[in-house]
Amino acid sequence: MRTLKRLFQFISIYAVALGLLWGVKIVYGFSDYLIPPPLEVLQVAGQNGLIYVKAVLDTLAVAIAGHMVAIVLATVVGLVGRLSSWPGNLTRTAAYNLQAYPIVAVAPIIFLFLGDGLASRLLIAAMICYFPLLLSFIGIFAQPVEEVEHFFRITGRINWRLELSIRTFENLDKITTVIVGSGTMALVGTIIAEFLAATNGIGYIIRKALYQSNLAKILVALFLIGLCSSLYLSFIETIGVWIKNRLHGEKTCLARASTP
Amino acid sequence: MHIACRHLHYTYPGADSPVFNNLDWTLEGPGFFALFGLSGTGKSTLARLISGELSPGQGEIDCPKTGCILYTHNAERIPGWGTVGAHLRSVTPASKTSLLSTILKDYGMEAYLESRFSGLSMGQKNRINLARYLVQEFDLLIADEVLANVDEPTRNHILERLKILFPQKTFLYISHNVLEVARFSQAVYVLPHASAAGTDRIHKITGLGHQEGREASEELVQERVYAILRSAASTSEPRP
Repeated sequence: MRTLKRLFQFISIYAVALGLLWGVKIVYGFSDYLIPPPLEVLQVAGQNGLIYVKAVLDTLAVAIAGHMVAIVLATVVGLVGRLSSWPGNLTRTAAYNLQAYPIVAVAPIIFLFLGDGLASRLLIAAMICYFPLLLSFIGIFAQPVEEVEHFFRITGRINWRLELSIRTFENLDKITTVIVGSGTMALVGTIIAEFLAATNGIGYIIRKALYQSNLAKILVALFLIGLCSSLYLSFIETIGVWIKNRLHGEKTCLARASTP
Repeated sequence: MHIACRHLHYTYPGADSPVFNNLDWTLEGPGFFALFGLSGTGKSTLARLISGELSPGQGEIDCPKTGCILYTHNAERIPGWGTVGAHLRSVTPASKTSLLSTILKDYGMEAYLESRFSGLSMGQKNRINLARYLVQEFDLLIADEVLANVDEPTRNHILERLKILFPQKTFLYISHNVLEVARFSQAVYVLPHASAAGTDRIHKITGLGHQEGREASEELVQERVYAILRSAASTSEPRP
């Protein structure tokens, strides 16, 4: 249901955007060369559909891998960053300063060192979604949930694992939202990397289409990117809801007030 | 259990005026005592200072080195990932399992052990929270509005049973219910309406809780209630 809703939302927005584009074309009398007619877009989709689907799946696979790497790394560094000792302070300061720097600007250096293959795409995808994840994780892990932690602290039961479990559980919604948001950024990062210098993926196809000034190809690529992105994000959301339901208990037992 | 505050000063960080200014106060347990005062007079602050959650700016708080002081308040929750029963079992020492059963039976909470904490009413949450503290090792339990959402008959029953089950422990019960503190406490410590210079004294009013097995007359209850309210409404002026 969640997936269908996301797909419907995307297709609606895409259709509205196409409608506006063709509306502008009619109003200003732009040529078919600049803005292709609907039939040409359908022809391009029919001719190149399979190649584009493969390319977008390739991009999606790299984005997912980069996203996972970023989540694991942000969790580990976030655990250090929550500490009040010097490693925590250093990590937080470094994270806050580094995240202010536009990562895309260092992408050429990555291509110079790692070439235009998978490693560069993966690294750029991970780097672009890593800092928002890290800052959120540091914030969540470092923020005490006083109403829950108080008992464990005053009775001497608190330890870092319990503290972490409580804070993660209490912020599951926030964590899911951040992971979904960073999923979009991972996809954006991968496409940017492909667009800049890679030789694979849907970003590379868009770059070629741009050089050919072929808007029909770009429109088909954008449609497939939107579809894949919607499917991936709704998949993460579904996992988030599933975890939350499992932890909160499958059934809600609303107890009735009683008097002894 | 003997607790003494000497020349206690406390000001919250960033606040203009102190909550306590040169406050002297002594609590001698065991027994059931109450801390009463209007909102904002520093009841919870004093509780947190005694329990060690806050450190006084100046002055000292003498507590027995071996004594265990616990502080609980009514906003506490148990972790939401398990049932109430699972949590209680995990935090109850083996030697206290029968005490836990007794308390849960007393509080009418036996039927809700398989429920999630979020599914309980506010009053039920308060009772579960209090139950888990009662099965810990403690000499003094400071209970800050822990029965705020519990109906009156149940609250009275719980307070009566506390005194029977834990005759050797010290309780400092913080409540805004003046009738309740007058009836059940041995002594009511009243924090007067704070002056701009901070509270510097706590009034002691003898409660009716020491009259075991005897129902206090309505006149006596009324007299104590008025005494407590008068004391709470008085202003704490700094001593010269």
